[in-house]
Amino acid sequence: SGELHCSLPNPRNVHFESLNMKNVLHWSAPEGIGDGVLYRVKYSVYGVGKWIRKPECRNINRTWCDLSSETSDYEEQYYASVKAFLNGMCSDWMETTRFNPLTDTKIDPPMVSVSSTEKSISIILTAPEKWKRSPEGESISLLQVYPGLQYNVSVLNKKTRKRWFFSISNNTLVVPWLEPGTAYCVSAQIYVTTPLLHSGFSKEYCIATLKDKTA
Amino acid sequence: SVTEIRSGFAAIRGNIQSRDPIRTLSILSYPHSLHKVKSSDRCCITHHLFNFYVDKVFKHCKTEDSYVNRKISSIANSFLSVKRKLGQCHEQNKCMCGQESAEKFKQVLANYEGLNVTSAAMKSLGELDILLDWMEKSP
Amino acid sequence: DTSLPAPQNISILSTNMKHFLTWSPVIVQGETVRYSVEFQGEYERDYANESWIPICECSLVTATVCNITEDISATVAYNLRVRADVGARRSEWGTLKGFFNRITTSLTPPVMKVIAAGYHLLVELEDMGPAFQFCVLYWKKGQESRMQQKVMKEISSVVHLDTMEAGPDYCVKAQTYVEAINRSSSFSQIQCVRAQGSRSMWLV
Repeated sequence: SGELHCSLPNPRNVHFESLNMKNVLHWSAPEGIGDGVLYRVKYSVYGVGKWIRKPECRNINRTWCDLSSETSDYEEQYYASVKAFLNGMCSDWMETTRFNPLTDTKIDPPMVSVSSTEKSISIILTAPEKWKRSPEGESISLLQVYPGLQYNVSVLNKKTRKRWFFSISNNTLVVPWLEPGTAYCVSAQIYVTTPLLHSGFSKEYCIATLKDKTA
Repeated sequence: SVTEIRSGFAAIRGNIQSRDPIRTLSILSYPHSLHKVKSSDRCCITHHLFNFYVDKVFKHCKTEDSYVNRKISSIANSFLSVKRKLGQCHEQNKCMCGQESAEKFKQVLANYEGLNVTSAAMKSLGELDILLDWMEKSP
Repeated sequence: DTSLPAPQNISILSTNMKHFLTWSPVIVQGETVRYSVEFQGEYERDYANESWIPICECSLVTATVCNITEDISATVAYNLRVRADVGARRSEWGTLKGFFNRITTSLTPPVMKVIAAGYHLLVELEDMGPAFQFCVLYWKKGQESRMQQKVMKEISSVVHLDTMEAGPDYCVKAQTYVEAINRSSSFSQIQCVRAQGSRSMWLV
């Protein structure tokens, strides 16, 4: 094929965006370039001698590429790189910084399920799962990845507008001795102390304690 | 404490790793990851590696950036106090060194001596999270 | 020309892991004196040719105090020094007498507020930064032998301690713990409250 001239402007801001270790490479199109740009992607395991092409991201026009499968071993670190092509011209390979899935991923809040009796509410928290190749694949909870994982739970009394916090290591919490017939809203956050990682707080799950039958 | 080492490293990680252009070699992970080390040898290897960083690495990591230098100083001094605690374990024979840890540490030194000293030191410093992740992984 | 006197009375004020270096001003009539601070950790002394590291936030400043907290970030012995500059004139270094190790920081009891909300015993603690954990002890008045303990790392406003029975007073006290230096503060004042069946009350 014709000689490629690598004078095309480079893809910009090449970086990983990672959520629960679903690791997706993102970049911005080269500056001042119209449509028709195609991209190729390669990645490497840090400390290992070769770059590996990602066939599913060869000559693509989108500006992202899912490398979750290739970067699923979170005991390794990675680089990825993108090259742009247009009308027989190409750019340089533009690399990410070194990506460490263990410390660089973001974590979703836990799933929250709430039930109530007349005077108590019971809260069950479920940590998100690590990304997996297919729905049938083995489920790995982030609890297994981060053994020091804990939960901050916020309980808001809608009547008094008072908010309490609970810090728990296990995933269940029962708050007894509450006022009957009162709405409580619960939200929860994950936090890991080493490495230091926090999820955001989940949305609020509201539930009312049952009415006092004797009243 | 290790938490302070982590936060100190996180503050300069991008800066330090960008000074290491060699993707194809790792001081700590080549040819085998630290994660392959038997848990019985972990204390000994950790002790060796803390001595390695204090004796060989930090002094060759001076940069033109005073903020980075200050963070390297705080990491180095934190290493010193952790190294002292590990030394006590070593003296009380709670940190046995097996054949595997001797081999692994020999490999780390070989990787280190395979590069010029400044590149080797900067690469080692850039791999601190590899050491910390491995240290803090549950056995 | 180094006839400028070196700063004197160099000392450290260290409370709750916040460390400040202070010194007496160097007086030069009609001139603005500026000061620069440097530190040297045990690593620099023993492994890096006794090198000194400047603190740029305290380079050529007119203040006679410098917040050195960020740089005193290991539990080892540090040296600190200050010098003065007036125009082209520069003093010798004035050096802190003896070393400073953060293990000597003074730890004050935490500011604590105990709340009874119905049958729930709650505590509000002041956030003192990532280095601090809180050890909270609580018990039924008169049953000091059956004290319960809760250790809190992450402080977020009102924290739930436990549920209370109606009737007895519940008493609470707290201390801080700093893992990095393995030391605790003294305990706060004891605060007692009472549960449902009475107005939420403070009893000290």
